[in-house]
Amino acid sequence: MCGFLSTDFRAGKRKDIQLNKLRQSIKNNSWIELAVRWILGLTFIYASYHKIISPSDFAKIVYGYGLFPEIFINLIAIVIPFLELIAGLALIIGVYPRSAAMIINALLLVFVTVLAINLIRGHEFDCGCFSAGQSGYASSSEVTLVRDVIYFILGIQVVLFEGHRRSCFGRIISK
Amino acid sequence: MVIRKSIKEIIILVSVSVALALVVNTLSPRGIALVGQWDITKGVITASPAGDAAGQKKEIDSVARAKTLFDKGDVLFVDARSQNQYGNGHIPGAVSLPVGQFEERIESFLNRYPPAQPIVTYCSGRTCEDSHDLAQFLSDVGFTNVRIFIDGFPGWEAEGYPIE
Repeated sequence: MCGFLSTDFRAGKRKDIQLNKLRQSIKNNSWIELAVRWILGLTFIYASYHKIISPSDFAKIVYGYGLFPEIFINLIAIVIPFLELIAGLALIIGVYPRSAAMIINALLLVFVTVLAINLIRGHEFDCGCFSAGQSGYASSSEVTLVRDVIYFILGIQVVLFEGHRRSCFGRIISK
Repeated sequence: MVIRKSIKEIIILVSVSVALALVVNTLSPRGIALVGQWDITKGVITASPAGDAAGQKKEIDSVARAKTLFDKGDVLFVDARSQNQYGNGHIPGAVSLPVGQFEERIESFLNRYPPAQPIVTYCSGRTCEDSHDLAQFLSDVGFTNVRIFIDGFPGWEAEGYPIE
């Protein structure tokens, strides 16, 4: 009985060490880090584009979540897209990459919370607007939620990375 | 130390973003007010209440007033929603002119109605600005008497008035 337990324990320990190694190799793989920065960077720059082009539509979406005070809705709609743009650019160029990833993960945390709250309370806003009906909100809240969680996990790699960061544009500013 | 450095960097990135956002929003013709009109009891919700001063005068903000105009009979109700929504139910006698298809449809509309025709536009109520856009477009092509029924079809239906 005892032997059985101890082999099991040893196997578990070995597994732990292997897992730990794998975790370390993912965490400090500079190619993965570079790829993640580009994926997150391009995604956030792309996501900011439509919001910057049409702030009034984005403001209506912010209103539609039904969670933000009325006086802040416009400010949120004005500032968030540029936060996405600047953080996305910083990740790609390699300016303050860890801090940019922290900003992106903070945004993702807010998005996930907002989506989750509305999914749980069954709140769905439809303004009945022509433009919104035409463009259609391409994906459902569930899909967006899962996608954002994946982005968040990717972002953690950039935050925790401790090696030498690669860059496609000369020198990395800050680590 | 690392944390302090990160905080400093985050403050820099956020400050640049906020400054850029405010500058672009001020300079862009599509910029919005810093505070919008999001109180549904005060009228149609919109990010840019300041730009709509002219539009607000033309608003009909009670269903009863819209019904009075409807009963007079000489007013043309124009439905700004999509063809589909119009098909599912609309104010009796209303004409469909989806704001998203304005350019394709306006010519036949102009052929049918004189510029002095009293018009009331409507859409899906106070969360929807399409009736305001349509009213603006109709004024732009020469209609002189255009008003906006802001409670739209949902408001009309809720009062139990006839629909078709």
